[in-house]
Amino acid sequence: MSPAGNPRDFNRQQRALRATTAERLEAIVEAAERAAEGVIDDAEAQARRYLAQAQAEADRLTQDRTAELSDLIDTLLGQALSLRREAESLQATLEEARARIDGQPASADEPAPVEVEEPEELDEPEVPVTPRLRAVVFEEAPLAEEGGRRSDAAGARLLATQMAISGSSREEIAHRLRNGFEIEDTDAILDAILGPEES
Amino acid sequence: MTDVADGIGLEQTRALEERYLMRTYKRAPVDFVRGEGALLWDADGKQYLDFLTGISVCSVGHCHPDVVKAVREQAKHLIHVSNLFYTEPMARLAERLSESSLGGRVFFANSGTEANECAIKIARKHAHARGVAAPEIVSFESDFHGRSYGALSATPGLAANEALGPMLPGFRSVPRDDPAAMRAAVGASTAAVLVEPIQGEAGVFPIADEVLLAARQACDAAGALLIFDEIQTGIGRTGSLWAYEQTPVRPDVITSAKALGGGFPIGACITSPLAAEVLEPGDHGSTFAGGPVATAAALAVLDVIDDPALLRHVRELGAYLRESLQALEGVRQTRGRGLMVGVGLEEGVDAAAVGADLLGRGLVVNVPRLDTLRLLPPLVIDSDHVDRAVELIGESLLGFRGS
Repeated sequence: MSPAGNPRDFNRQQRALRATTAERLEAIVEAAERAAEGVIDDAEAQARRYLAQAQAEADRLTQDRTAELSDLIDTLLGQALSLRREAESLQATLEEARARIDGQPASADEPAPVEVEEPEELDEPEVPVTPRLRAVVFEEAPLAEEGGRRSDAAGARLLATQMAISGSSREEIAHRLRNGFEIEDTDAILDAILGPEES
Repeated sequence: MTDVADGIGLEQTRALEERYLMRTYKRAPVDFVRGEGALLWDADGKQYLDFLTGISVCSVGHCHPDVVKAVREQAKHLIHVSNLFYTEPMARLAERLSESSLGGRVFFANSGTEANECAIKIARKHAHARGVAAPEIVSFESDFHGRSYGALSATPGLAANEALGPMLPGFRSVPRDDPAAMRAAVGASTAAVLVEPIQGEAGVFPIADEVLLAARQACDAAGALLIFDEIQTGIGRTGSLWAYEQTPVRPDVITSAKALGGGFPIGACITSPLAAEVLEPGDHGSTFAGGPVATAAALAVLDVIDDPALLRHVRELGAYLRESLQALEGVRQTRGRGLMVGVGLEEGVDAAAVGADLLGRGLVVNVPRLDTLRLLPPLVIDSDHVDRAVELIGESLLGFRGS
């Protein structure tokens, strides 16, 4: 006989206790599982929030960088266009000067090109190379007899342009124009090449 | 081995020269053994202010540290392989010379006269391509282009020496101050006009704008090339890298040498695109030209001189030098541009005697003609050097006026 009394009662109590324990354990496990699911859900939600924030930050940074790059490209394009305009202006000035000196269109003054073949080897030839030249009929071009005021003006512009490119100051160029061409008012030429003088 | 800095002394050197060297030079009685910047020292330790720079060669000053370093570094690696192979310093120098001037191609030579030989060949072949059977080259009567036969034939003053004749055919000359004569001399058979934009050996005479314009105009009309001999005027001497930049014309070909190597022998013929393809394989060549050491030296020289601040300094100091000289008793006129200055002396003053006296006073100058001193100082001098040189010239002239 058990100390608790009737063994049947004891067994019942034991079964009931086991059942209750099992139920309680089951409940605890379920609660733990629910809690864990909650933690996971919370973590996932948090992670999603973090991801969303990171994505938003990345998008903002990308937008900022894109805007900066766009501004930079606009600036560079502007500078390139400015340079191109300056180069075209310089080229036009030079062509105009040359054309005036020639008294004919700038493209018409160059003699026919020499036909040249690429070298085939490095060795110095032991026999003279036969010239591979195309004979061109020379046409006597009229020489400008007047000494040419237009040529002088073009020469003055070319002088001023070359001096400006080589780094001479406005005063130095003006001095040469006055001495070499007897041009007293040099502002028109200098303004065209260097831009108006800042006051 | 003899110490280079001390030397064997003037008398022994002179004795060796008397015995072994051809008598082609009449040398001043000085044996230089060392140079630094604008200064030279002779074998006796006497110091000189150099306003000649080896005839406009040492424009960066004597033994410029950057040039010395470039030569030393290159010589440690490669000195010579010939033009049958590629070498980087030559290619880099060609790029730099072309891009800084006419934009065409470069042929390297060992001297100015060789650079002019190349230019003459280009001119003649270019003319043949136009159908000219007997091409002619026009230069100024008092030009100096060199002493080999092609260059000599374009140097009327020396070509007149019949003992050296005959000269090459196809050369003629006109006065340097006559635009009409220039126009009249250029015609269908003209291959080129070859001129110095500022005549150096003649005594420093800038060519007038109208004459250069006439030459350009005549060349364009005839299909001829305009060639500028910038051997003395180039590489910053006049205050721009090339003298043509201060003229109203743009040549088709320029030749360079002297200051290009900073003391190392090198020459260059530089074309515009118009003349860039004229010479073909076999037309021209040189064993030594464009060698790694000479071109490395030239690159170092250009690093120093192709600097807007230095070129401005040359223009400003040149103006100050001429202004200071003009104020001296005994000076009739000054000529030139930048630091290429001719000093015309008053009538009766013997320039040769003044030059010799100045050498004794420690100033090195040149006397290209009886009435003219030529000053070609380093481009890196300062106003103190100018003041000292002017002071010495003034003192010297005081003793010669009316002599």
